[in-house]
Amino acid sequence: MSLFGLFQISGSALAAERLRAEVATSNLANAETTRTPEGGPYHRRMVTFTSQPGSQFHLLLANSLAAEGGAGGVRVAGVVEDPTPPQRRYEPGHPDADADGYVSYPAINPLQEMVDLMGAERAYELNASAVQAAKQMIQQSLQILK
Amino acid sequence: MNVNLANPGIRILPADLPEAGAPGAGGEEGFGESLKQAVAAVDNLSLDARYRVSSLIQGSGADVHDAMIAVEKADLSFQLMLQVRNKVVQAYQQIASMQF
Amino acid sequence: MSLVDSSLISLLVRALDLTAQRQQLVAQNIANVDTPGYHTRDIDFRGELQRALWAGQADPAAGGAPFVREVPGLIERPDGNNVSIDRESLLMAGDQLQFQTEAALLRSEFSRLQEAISGGGGQ
Repeated sequence: MSLFGLFQISGSALAAERLRAEVATSNLANAETTRTPEGGPYHRRMVTFTSQPGSQFHLLLANSLAAEGGAGGVRVAGVVEDPTPPQRRYEPGHPDADADGYVSYPAINPLQEMVDLMGAERAYELNASAVQAAKQMIQQSLQILK
Repeated sequence: MNVNLANPGIRILPADLPEAGAPGAGGEEGFGESLKQAVAAVDNLSLDARYRVSSLIQGSGADVHDAMIAVEKADLSFQLMLQVRNKVVQAYQQIASMQF
Repeated sequence: MSLVDSSLISLLVRALDLTAQRQQLVAQNIANVDTPGYHTRDIDFRGELQRALWAGQADPAAGGAPFVREVPGLIERPDGNNVSIDRESLLMAGDQLQFQTEAALLRSEFSRLQEAISGGGGQ
């Protein structure tokens, strides 16, 4: 196994999934936040993933499919706000109610965030075991020299 | 010496003597030639091993197992050459110590 | 010196290279499990190994980089991604065992050669 190539691939995924988990957690924690320092309710945030092309370190590139997207792992292209308009609930007594008595709540579905979180955790574990597998294979390579 | 000791009257000309590097029948490669090739091969293997190991250390993408294998191959072929050399030296010494 | 390049050793080395390359692709697939539009990639491991077996040392192409292709028959999710976690996990486990076996076999081949070379002893 190449020492650095594989750790870049799996390592990038570990970082990306961890960020995804953090964003999901943040969404969950702020599901009912009606007031933020910037004014208005909390806006749900999402991460977008994109694959990274392989670096010149990947020597064994027989065809273009080997070289293009994904060979360098994955990265978070951005953390964006969900453009979905906030939920409006009728709560006239609420301190953040507007003139009509409606309070704007973040358009966050806790179930959706939980699913996202679990997905991120599972992907994280999977990539962590890929790192373990690589480590083992490298150790076995060293055994060849006894 | 060009003199045939058994028959002093007969002179052995240099052209009649087999070439130093071809003790076998004419046309075959001599031992010296094979030895040169063997040394070149060992050299190549050890260069390859060194290249792979340094490439591994620098992180320029060489695989660990390829480097290990290259090192082992270089090591084995070097040892083989060493053993052959030892045997040749041994044989020479045996011959040289013979009393006529 | 063809001693260290016997057909068995060449085959084992090729197998190790292919297994490592396959594991790299598996890692890549796993890393991109959440990337929209990403399709699973793989090599034809058996095919490549067979080519190496038949070609021996005569065919230079048999030692080149394996051909990477997309895997057919996988279900695509709404975001265009078709990576199957189960498939990749199984392959990863298999690769590990395979690599271990190939390395051990290679080790024993080298040991055998070592024995032959230095175990000569006297006449």
